[in-house]
Parts: sequence; structure tokens; C-alpha cells
Amino acid sequence: MTITSQGEELILDKERALFLPKHQLLAISDLHLGKSAHFRQAGLQVPSTIAKSDLQRLSLLIEKYQPKTLLINGDMFHHGLNTDIDDFSIWKQQYTDLNFLLVKGNHDQLSANNYKDLGIEIHEPSFCLSPFCFIHDAPKHTNEELYPISGHIHPGVSIVGKAKQRLKFPCFYFGKDHAILPAFSLFTGLYNIQPKTNERIFAITPEKVIEV
Amino acid sequence: MDQTKTKGYKKIKQWLKANRRKPFQFQEDAWQYYLNGYSGLVNAPTGFGKTFSLFLAVVIEALNDPSVNPKQRKDRLQLIWITPLRSLAKDIARAMRETLLELELDWHVGVRNGDTSQAEKLQQKKSMPEILLITPESLHLLLAQKGSSTLFKNLKCIVADEWHELLGSKRGVLVELAVSRIKGLQKLEKQQFLRVWGISATIGNIEEALDVLEPDETAKRIIVKADLEKKIIIKSILPDDIETLPWAGHLGLKLAYKLLPIINKSKTTLIFINTRGQSEMWYQHLLNLEPELAGRIAIHHGSIDFELRNWIEDALHTGQLKAVIATSSLDLGVDFKPVDTVVQVGSPKGVARFLQRAGRSGHAPHETSKIYFLPTHALELVEAAAIKEAAKNNNIESREPFIMVFDTLVQYLVTLAIGDGFDDQVIYEEIKNTHAFKLILPEEWNWVMQFITSGGDSLSAYNEFKKVTKDDDGLWKVKSRMLAMRHRLHIGTIVSDAMLKVKFLSGGYIGMVEEYFVTRLKAGDNFRLAGRVLEFIHVKDMTVIVRNSKQKNAISPSWNGGRLPLSSNLGVVLRKKYNEALDKNHEDEELDVVYPLFLLQEKRSHVPRNDELLIELINNKEGFHLFAYPFEGRLVHEVLAALVAYRLSKLLPISFSIAMNDYGFELLSETEIPMDESIAYEVFSPKNLTEDITLSINSTEMARRKFRDIACISGLVFQGYPGKYVANRHLQSSAGLFFNVFSDYDKHNLLLRQAYDEVFYQQLEEPRLAAALQRIQEGNIIITTPKSFTPLSFPIKVDSLRENMSSEELEQRILRMKAESEKIK
Repeated sequence: MTITSQGEELILDKERALFLPKHQLLAISDLHLGKSAHFRQAGLQVPSTIAKSDLQRLSLLIEKYQPKTLLINGDMFHHGLNTDIDDFSIWKQQYTDLNFLLVKGNHDQLSANNYKDLGIEIHEPSFCLSPFCFIHDAPKHTNEELYPISGHIHPGVSIVGKAKQRLKFPCFYFGKDHAILPAFSLFTGLYNIQPKTNERIFAITPEKVIEV
Repeated sequence: MDQTKTKGYKKIKQWLKANRRKPFQFQEDAWQYYLNGYSGLVNAPTGFGKTFSLFLAVVIEALNDPSVNPKQRKDRLQLIWITPLRSLAKDIARAMRETLLELELDWHVGVRNGDTSQAEKLQQKKSMPEILLITPESLHLLLAQKGSSTLFKNLKCIVADEWHELLGSKRGVLVELAVSRIKGLQKLEKQQFLRVWGISATIGNIEEALDVLEPDETAKRIIVKADLEKKIIIKSILPDDIETLPWAGHLGLKLAYKLLPIINKSKTTLIFINTRGQSEMWYQHLLNLEPELAGRIAIHHGSIDFELRNWIEDALHTGQLKAVIATSSLDLGVDFKPVDTVVQVGSPKGVARFLQRAGRSGHAPHETSKIYFLPTHALELVEAAAIKEAAKNNNIESREPFIMVFDTLVQYLVTLAIGDGFDDQVIYEEIKNTHAFKLILPEEWNWVMQFITSGGDSLSAYNEFKKVTKDDDGLWKVKSRMLAMRHRLHIGTIVSDAMLKVKFLSGGYIGMVEEYFVTRLKAGDNFRLAGRVLEFIHVKDMTVIVRNSKQKNAISPSWNGGRLPLSSNLGVVLRKKYNEALDKNHEDEELDVVYPLFLLQEKRSHVPRNDELLIELINNKEGFHLFAYPFEGRLVHEVLAALVAYRLSKLLPISFSIAMNDYGFELLSETEIPMDESIAYEVFSPKNLTEDITLSINSTEMARRKFRDIACISGLVFQGYPGKYVANRHLQSSAGLFFNVFSDYDKHNLLLRQAYDEVFYQQLEEPRLAAALQRIQEGNIIITTPKSFTPLSFPIKVDSLRENMSSEELEQRILRMKAESEKIK
């Protein structure tokens, strides 16, 4: 689905990604790489296929949009280094021409060298590309003229209908002051947000993105 | 051996005679069978000394054999007494200690459960007492201790008290597993004298109850049944006018004033309320009605602090209290002598539970139990009439034991692994001999072993997965201290939300509330707990800090607890009562009171007869409602509603929200529901039943909800422990997320299959459903179209627990819902 925000064209993909055609930039948030392996280390049985499938979805997106830059808007890595991240490192080798940018989030606690070894460019606290500014957690007040795009909360929306019907989806949020991206990883929960007037919410269904 | 010739027996008889008592026949029988090496089950009404039928059996044997165990020995444990409730242990221990003292038998009696102090547990670790009273959970915690496998060498007997209560839950499986391990350990030591006994109230499947407890068919087994009858008087508290009672609701405060004379003329009254939240409201309401009761009534439930509960129980014993408002926390066998009257508020939903509660009054042998039933809504009066009839005919429910609960097995194996470790071959043989896992297949066992050792099936061995590993001595163990600690904190199968302790600013604990409830409170808000109105100050160190409030009005916390479904036995009687009510050929005063309501139901719609299924179609601004009344109980209706919704949705794209109660269910849609007689017979048909049920379960949330408990019990989701909250944000996840992940990436996961099986076998009772559908096919289906809600439909309509079912395309559905909500704006 293509929308216009701050006078720029944006593509919202149902695979929980945002594409900026003008900059050839693909943005995702909350990838939480290594979360499943971190759980396994702690004795919780999470299949590793879930991390692999996140990377597969990312591959398909890269193929589809052929971006120059892949921006990860925080929480790229869930905890420490582990086998999921080894898998990522191997996976990444096929994209030598692609720029990996990370806007650091609260979970991203690896050392500077680790990021360097993985070939990821770090931006802290934000990465700005007028008229947008990517930042992991939305600032409460912003004096900047740029429009912040954040992640962090894993937004979800409930749609309530007549006859006591209710549906819940992950979503993109575009408010007056800032926007929020959905969490990319499928191994994440949802935080319900309540849209107010003049705010746009785009629900992500298995088939497509729908404005609600 | 004839016991009457033994030293021990003679001593017991002497002692009883000195106290002017005489044993009942069933007690003497139990002693004799025990002495002859039998395992078994004692079935007797409350108040006739069930405890003594087994406790004294063990004592007689000990008195017969004078070889004394030196006190320093670690393994002098003789008797393990498993009780389902902590409050029971204290009283039984007291009675046992007094008896042992008078018999001059130098035995120690220890109690071990969630309330036992750390110091006492350490003392027990050094030297076990001869008799240990323990909950199933604490018994597993004991097995999780290093060195525990040497404790049971001289154990003579395991008693499962109130076995009927444990049987129908996964806690029963905990008992089965612990017994299988202790038997296995004794076998290693070449000891053969362990006997396993249960004490049970009357249930429909008493033979099966024994089979579950002692599954070894080669063992000597017996059911000792007391030939005694407990007299019970049941009386309904009737409104003067049926208009007084609401059509729906669970609280019943309208009739509270009628309790006051009952409380006044009784010595002590126990008032049973079905939920903790409602019991808080009742307490306040009774005080408002009769301020003079202040200080003479108390409130008792599972979320009230241990010290406070202790005080209340002591006050009950001494008769200081006029009335106590209680939940199921006082259901079982505690013998409070001053209690002569019991009140049940709201339907107990089962005959067995009702009789059990009645038995709390007139506890002494040959005294009469007296119970009043206070209805919370009008139709509950019919339930009262049905319960009276079922009780009269001794039509008592069965408790279905759980089988193949892999979540409990996973937990048990990790428990053993953090204790002394286990040999998988040995344990496999042991669990195969339990009732719960006798059908386990070798590949299922392998899956469970892989799940705890490699984190998944063998195709994807994860190097980083470290839970249970093989030690140098060949035993499977947990090496990580952190993992062991986390596991210990969540041993057990009762799943509740994270709880926080509530404490006064000035010190002193009051009880516990759910974390979820606290997150909604602001400083200065008032809430009710343990009968007090408390002002919320803040949360500090995972403790809710409060002060006394002067406010009268406050919200009550809601504690999540399962709602009890109507039993099938009661359903049958209830249908019959509906028949009788309109015909006036009955002797129930309850039905006379409720008669005007039946006339109204008949006027607006129809009163269904035994051989009829009533379907009501009501159209209003909420949407199109379809109500159907099979009277099969909430659980069966949940599945049946999903089935009917699924079959209707095959006819055309449609979305439903589903609600149900014990009488019937509702399908609600915003488009017209196709329904006529031929469609009705079709959607209520027993044809293709299994296949259609599977498909309808898949498209609703039922299995997902079952998975919530399974994820906690198997250790996938860690919810913390009352008052011992361990925060670990990196490892936080939800059962729902695991359900999705397993559904998408690990379809063969046995825990996932268990969720579906639990819906299928525990909830659904397929034969019961097939029989119900057969009954509907053979009878008449009556379809009415009332203009407004009827006495039958209203209680379902206001129920808030709902399911969804849809065959519309998702996008279509969203667009339509969006359009609808814009119209509303």
C-alpha cells in the first residue's frame, strides 16, 4: 500500500516493512535477532526455524524492492551473540552491495566491535533523512522539524465491530507528531494502541495492508 | 494375621475405651486390610473419622513391631499424608500429635507446604519426621531436592486424603507420578512393604479412583466402604416474590437480608460464595445490613494472608465467630465443631460439591448437616430443585482422571533432574505403570526426552540448548543453578496470574492480589481485601503498600479463576424440572416461586420439554441472535456452539460471536442467520461429527486457551510465584506466542497436540455430545422468534466471555466492521 506522509511517498509492506522509493531505503524495526536462541540457552524450547523464517522474509523484501540501504530501527539484536546471529552473519554475506544501518535500540547491547565485524553501521540515537527522522523509541517532545518514525512498542490494533466482534492485528501508526513501525520479527507480542482522530492506522492482515 | 490378637490393636481399643469411644466397623476393616498388606480406598461420609481409619492402621503396625528407629536417622519416614489444602494439614497434624502423645508413641509429625518456614524445612532435611503431611506440589519439591531419593527407604504407607478432589485435576497426576517414583526407589532398595491408600467422598467412579491411585493389578486392593449415612437437610431461601430476583447475575445480594435470622439462630454459619471477589462484596454487604455483626464475622479465601487465615480457622474452632464467608478454601474436611449451618450462595454446579459443603456443618457422627441454598438469579431456583432431587437419589458425579498430560510429565522429569537425577529407562518403566501414562508410545516418550534435553525433535539439535544433560554417572540432571531455581519456583499445576503481596505501610501482610489488577490502580484508589477497605499508596519491591481507608465504597479485585461448569448428571435432572414446572406436577416449592417466569417464557417464546430443543431467533440493534438450549453444561455448549457456528458458516460467509452458559448458547451475527427446521436438523446432526468438531475447534480459540496452562506447567512461560516475583524481561513471552510459533513451525509438538486433546477429551466428552445430538434428532426442534429477550436468553446475552467464528474473508470483514463503526459514530 502506498501512502503520502510529509509530502513523501511511502510504501507499507504487509511483511511489516516500510520502503522509501526516493531514497531506495527499506526500513524495518524490532528484528530481535537471537531471541529464539537466547530462549533456548535459558532452557526454553523455541524452534530455530522462527529466526530463519524472519531472515527469509527479509530476503524476499530485499529481492522485491532492491534497496540500496536496509535500515533497522532499533532492537536488531535481542540479547548477546549466539547461534542465531551466526546464521545471520552467513545470511548477510549474499548482500555485499547493501548498506546495513542500525539505529540503536534498548536491546542492542553488543560491543562496537561486534557491529563492525558484522558490517553494520551504527547510528545513535537517530538516523535522519529529511523530512523523516528514524529513532527507536519516540521522544516525548520533539523540537526538531523532522517527523520521527519509531518502533519499540510493537504496535497492534483491535477492530471492534457490531455484534460484539473483535479482531487484532499488528499495524503501522501515522500520527500528527510521529509514526510507529510494526515489529518485524514474528516472535514478538503486540501492544494495543488506541487511535485518536486525525491519526492513521494501517492494519497488517495475512493478505495485505488495510487502513482502518 | 488377625489384628484383634495383636498388641497394637489392643492398645488402641484400650485407649478408645478410656475416651468412651468405639471404632466404627469400616475403621476396623481398614486396619485389618492394612495389616494384611492391602492398598485401597476408604469411602465414608464426613465426620466419621476417616483420618483414623488409616492413621491408626499405621500406628497399630508400629506398636506391634517394637524395633525403634533411632532418631538421628535420615530415613525414619513411615507415613506420607497427602492433603490437597494447606489448611487441612494443620488440623490433622494437631489431631495426630495428640493421639500419639496419649498412645506414648514417640513419633514426630511434620507439615510441609507453601506455608512451612524455611527453618523447619531445613530441620526436616536433616532429619525427616515419622509422619509427613504434605501437598502434592511440596512432595514434588521434595523430589527436586538433592539427596531426596534416600528418604523413603522405610516408608510404609502413602495416603492421599480427599482423593476425589485431586483425582479430577492435574494435581492427581502429580500424586500418581510421585507415588510411582517412591515405589521405584523402594524397589531399588528391595523393600516391598509400601501400601498406597486413598480417602474419598462418594463419587460416581470410585473403582476407577482406586485404579488411578494403585494401578498395579497384581497388588492386593480393596475399597472399604462405611455403611453409614449422613443426614442432610437442604432448604432454599425463597424470595417473597419472583420479581425480587434478577434474570441474570451471580451476586445475589437482594436476598442477603434473609440470611440474618439464619445467622442469628445458628451457632456458627459458613457462607460459601463461588468467587473471591464476590465474597469480599458479600462481607461488606452483610456488615452494612447488620452493623452489630462487626467483629463477629470474618472472610476466608485463598488470597488472604496465611496468618490471618490461621486466626480465622482458630476462631472457628473456638466458636468466637458467628459467621465466616468462604470460598472453596474451606471446602474440604476441616472439622469445625461449632459450625451447625451452611449457606451456599449461587449454584454449586454439581451435586458432589454441594454435599461436600453441606458436610461442613454437623460434623460429628450422627449429627445432621443443614444447608441453605441462596439463589443469585431467578432460574437458579430450578437448579436448586434439581440439586435437591439429585442429592436425594445420590446421583453423584464422576471425577474424570487426566491422562497423557505431557506438560505435567515434562515438569516432572525436570523436577527429577534437579534432584538426584534420573535414568530414562527406569523412569519410562515407572510412568508406563501409572494410570495417566499407561498408553504412552515409545516415540512420544522419545519426544519428551528430546524436548527437555535437546530443545526439540532430533532433526534440529540445538547446541546452545542446555536444560537437562547426561552426567558422568549416566543420570540425566540439570546443571544450571539458575534453571533449577526457576523450575522450583513453578512446580505445580495450578496456573494463576502473577500475584503481588499486599502490606500495610505500618507493617503486616493482608493478602495477595493479581498484578494485572494493581496496574489499573492509581495512588489514592480504594479497594477491598480481606474485608477491609484499603487505600493504595504504591508498589515497592513487588509488594503493594496500602493503608486503611475511611471510605465505605471501593472496588473488589477480581481474581482469575475458572468458572465451574454444570455437571451432566445435574443437566439431566434440570431438563426434567423444566418439564414439571409448567405442568405443575411437582412437589418443589422452588418451582412454585419461579412459575410466573415460566409463564412469561411460554408467552414470549416456549418452555422446552424433555424431548424438545428450543431455538430462539431475536433481532435487535445489537444484531441477529440465535439462542439454543440443550441443557448440557457450559463446556459442552462451548464446543456445540462452535460446531453449529461452523456448520452454518459453511452455508454462506458469516461471522459469529459466541456466548454460552449452562443452559444453552448464543450465536450473534450482524447479518441474518439462516435458520429453519430443515437447517436446524442439519446443523444439530451427529453426522460427520468428529471431522466437523476438529475443524470448528481449529477455527476458534478453545485450544489456544487450553495451551495457556500447558505452557506454564511445562515451563515455557514463567509467571512468577506469589510474592516471589522474578523479573527477567529478556525471557518474557506469552503462551499465545508459543502457540503461534508451534502451530507454524513445530506442528508435531506434543504440548500443542495436548491442547487439542484437552478440548476433545476433557471438555467435549464426545459420547455425551453425540448422545445429545441424537436426542435432538429424535425429538422436536421448536423455533420461535420472540420480540425481546426471554427469561432463558437473557442470562446468556449478558455473559461477557465470548468466542469468535468466521467464514468471511478477512479483508471483507474488516471493511464491513469499519463501515459499521462509522455508521455508529
